[in-house]
Amino acid sequence: MADIRMRLGVHNLDATQVGDFRNSYRGMMAISDNRGYQVLAGRHGVPDWFCWHHQQNSRVAQNMRLFLPWHRAYLYNWEMAMRDRVPGVTLPWWDWTLGPPRQNGLPSIFTDRTGADGQPNSLLGFRINLPQANPPVVRATSRAPGTPDGLPTQDDVDNCLARTDWSDFSDALEDIHDQVHGWVSGDMGVIGTAAYDPIFWSHHAMIDRIWWLWQARNGNGNIPADLVGQVLAPFNMQVRDVLNVHDLGYEYGAAQSVVPIGGTS
Amino acid sequence: MPRTPRKAPARKEAAPAPRRLGAPKRVGGGAKTFTSKPVAIDFAAPDHRMTRADLEIDGIFHGEASYEGRIFLNNPNADHNTPRTRGSGYAGSFYLFGHGGCLGDPGHCEVNEDGREKYDFRAPHPLTLASKRVTVTDAVRELAKANKEVTVTVVPVITAANELCDTENVFRCQDMRFVSYN
Repeated sequence: MADIRMRLGVHNLDATQVGDFRNSYRGMMAISDNRGYQVLAGRHGVPDWFCWHHQQNSRVAQNMRLFLPWHRAYLYNWEMAMRDRVPGVTLPWWDWTLGPPRQNGLPSIFTDRTGADGQPNSLLGFRINLPQANPPVVRATSRAPGTPDGLPTQDDVDNCLARTDWSDFSDALEDIHDQVHGWVSGDMGVIGTAAYDPIFWSHHAMIDRIWWLWQARNGNGNIPADLVGQVLAPFNMQVRDVLNVHDLGYEYGAAQSVVPIGGTS
Repeated sequence: MPRTPRKAPARKEAAPAPRRLGAPKRVGGGAKTFTSKPVAIDFAAPDHRMTRADLEIDGIFHGEASYEGRIFLNNPNADHNTPRTRGSGYAGSFYLFGHGGCLGDPGHCEVNEDGREKYDFRAPHPLTLASKRVTVTDAVRELAKANKEVTVTVVPVITAANELCDTENVFRCQDMRFVSYN
């Protein structure tokens, strides 16, 4: 598994990992071209509107439930852009089912004003710059989180994972996903601007992780054949390309420790 | 099953666009609720071997505010302050992630999926209407012990809306139904 990159839980990151995570976003935020935060976040909602939510097609069997595959492709491309800035960094997942004392609502790495290095925390927010939108959106992102008891619970996740039919599972997980977007509120609360909030990516890593857990139990056999060949625009991928996260070079773990031992020579 | 309306759902006339868009805010209650006519629930009667019952809602508009849709059975007076308890008829919630209003020029958010040409293979419009499913098995089973019919009330509680969103007519759908499994 040496070549497989491990996505870790936000709650288990050590100080170095948090620093790398913040530096990767800081680096992306400093770039205005198509390697940078502004352009890549803009692929989701305003201005590009590539994202897939709900069931966007009344003409195709199973109504084109591309929510999970499309966001897996999106996160893959996002994580590659992170690693262009900070080699070795991975996208951590936010487990919103965790309660005190491990976590209480938004994880502190996303709410601290500054990082350990004294620099502004790049995970706190982002300044959206879309003067061409109608109306223009030129301001910092904001959040208005609810009380922690309004977040999904492990029971909700277990109930979702217990569904064996693809469409049933996908819709149930998307509903949980919608709940968390609404819970964070502010820019995360609406599709148009959600991806500009730095916590968007770790929320979606959690969703992607739950899909992967479901796939480990149920495989991919009951995903409608119509879906497998669908293109996940604007990415150079089809649904079949994202069904196995190992093919994309990553895996999910709560934490990872690497202790070098060495070989025989 | 048709999911796209031939005409846009009823809505308030759009307010003039702001000079710059502000941040979405949590609004809470105040939006109009919807209550159905009484619906037979004999499928959940004690002599039926029902294992699961869903409330399926089709044709949901999702172009504006995000909200929690709280489902109350046999409680047409329910509002956002009504406790989410079985005693008040609460059966579950769905959550809708809305687009946050139209951030484009005129026509950008008009959906016309049924009017497409045969060889129009472009991606569907992102505002093609949505569907939601709320599992209501226990609530319906309990009510069916003493009731032959129930009303379904949907109370939208807005989690995020900006100045482009209609915060009064929030929940808009084409159809809903109970679907049970034995």
